[in-house]
Amino acid sequence: MAVKVLNKTVIYVFLSIVALIAIFPVLYIVLASFKTNQEIMTGGVNLLPTEWQFHNYIRAWELANFQRYTWNSLYMSFFIVVGSIITATIAGYVFSRGTTKVTKFIYGMVMSSLFISIGTLALYPQLTLARTLGLSGSLWGVIIIRVFGMNVTQVFIATGNVNQIPKQIDEAAKIDGCGFFKIFCHIIFPLLKPLIATIGLISFRMAWNDYLLPFVFTISKSDRMPLVVGVVNLKSSGQAASSWDLALAGISISLIPMLLVYLLLNKFFIAGMAEGAIKG
Amino acid sequence: MGRCGNMQILNKIRSRIKSYTFGDKIQEILMILPMFIGFLLFVVYPIFWVLRWAWFNYNGYSNPVFIGFDNFVRAFTRDKTYWFTLLNTFILAGAKLVTEMPIAIVLAVLVNKKMKGISFFRVVYFLPSVLSIAVVGLIFSILFSPYNGIVNALLVNFGLASKNINWFGERWLAMFVILLVSLWTTFGLNMIYFLMGLQNIPKELYECAQLDGANAFRQYFHITLPMLAPVMQVVFMLSMLGTMKITDLILVMTNGQPGGSTEVVMTYIFKYFFQYGDATVTPSQFGYASSLAVITGIVLSIITLIYLRVSKKMKEIY
Repeated sequence: MAVKVLNKTVIYVFLSIVALIAIFPVLYIVLASFKTNQEIMTGGVNLLPTEWQFHNYIRAWELANFQRYTWNSLYMSFFIVVGSIITATIAGYVFSRGTTKVTKFIYGMVMSSLFISIGTLALYPQLTLARTLGLSGSLWGVIIIRVFGMNVTQVFIATGNVNQIPKQIDEAAKIDGCGFFKIFCHIIFPLLKPLIATIGLISFRMAWNDYLLPFVFTISKSDRMPLVVGVVNLKSSGQAASSWDLALAGISISLIPMLLVYLLLNKFFIAGMAEGAIKG
Repeated sequence: MGRCGNMQILNKIRSRIKSYTFGDKIQEILMILPMFIGFLLFVVYPIFWVLRWAWFNYNGYSNPVFIGFDNFVRAFTRDKTYWFTLLNTFILAGAKLVTEMPIAIVLAVLVNKKMKGISFFRVVYFLPSVLSIAVVGLIFSILFSPYNGIVNALLVNFGLASKNINWFGERWLAMFVILLVSLWTTFGLNMIYFLMGLQNIPKELYECAQLDGANAFRQYFHITLPMLAPVMQVVFMLSMLGTMKITDLILVMTNGQPGGSTEVVMTYIFKYFFQYGDATVTPSQFGYASSLAVITGIVLSIITLIYLRVSKKMKEIY
């Protein structure tokens, strides 16, 4: 018995140390964002600020353009989330229930694109294309690429989810005279609530955290940047060195919405992201 | 009427269920069409774009000139930096694989135990995985900052270092920090994959082993690990490919510094396309960048194929 208790203690201690490592960087930054610039510059091992500087946030919000960045992030994420939910569920439905050769061919193409991806090297061609379509220099290009670019992971999850809905349900609707599109609108889509939540969360995570794609779409247009791009820009433009307090407040502003969503919905988050990789 | 009429109705219903009218087919294609166009434009087109311009001298403003194999000759014979960055990428991917997988598996086994508050740890470990990689890079460059970073302050305070360490001043130290940060961002996610794998192992196996007198250690090596093999096959590949495509983290944290020694293949080619920070290469060499993209794409595909071939056995291990 004593061995067992000891064993448990060792496990708890070990797990707690790892937990500390996982949380510490975020905790440190959020706490340090309340310090004065002087205090951040001096460094040291103090976690808590000697005096809480709430006006760091007000200054970042008003002076350092963070109001603008936050708004940009919000609207970009909103349209990507809503758009991805629509396109991913439709794609999942068509790939699951479709019977035409065209559909099968498209599905094969999308799946094989997994093996020939050039990652971030596709950014420049995407940008030139957006330029010819008149979409460069704003976040709309990013939104359209993310919504219509057929994210393989999302398509995979969606197809798997629709596959789990029994075909008899479609057939019942068919007897009532519903066509392919109507079955989706009236029958399948309302049944996909868990999938909608999953797609919503993973597309929100992607949109809110995205760096390089919005970066190349908003190069040198600082009032169009989303939060992540704006925050990193602060560092690379050398501004951060003179105003660490604002930079840290900015980083915290970019982290907090994501952290809140995660803390509230962590179960769905973990399940959704794990599902994506295992099925993908 | 009577029986006969019923049969007719039944047949009608049956044919309706079976029938997939022309109208349905049109609807089906129209529904997927916008996404298919998007896919062609944003996924397929870029691949053909780099395949085409790889054969040109093209910088965006002067007329592109067809130069045959010249870009490839340059990459293979004169561009030592490209191969250096490829090597860096492999080192990082390899180092990450051998450090991360044991950590993730051990943590998965531990958080799979039925102990009080264990789900709290799962939630905390997964937290880094939901944050933006670029912002994470920024956070850690602050934590590891040589003069006022908390890491140095802690090390000196506890007597583990005699003076501040310049983490980003030397290649291997900087690579070490990159590895640590990259580990930090994904260990929770990989732990969750293994956890799902563990939960799929039938409990009876352990009961049988216990009856046969196998201790926890032997159970681990003879049941847990072999049963996890199929999950491992997938997770290894995801981790490897993920690290080889690492871009944001390096750009934000070191941007290849010191002196391009932490540059990886994606950031290196990225800088031939776009100006980023204090560039070590001249940007806007689209033709050359495309040829490097083609070479890299082929290298990645070959590695994926070899891996799938070699690891086939892992899937059939039990």
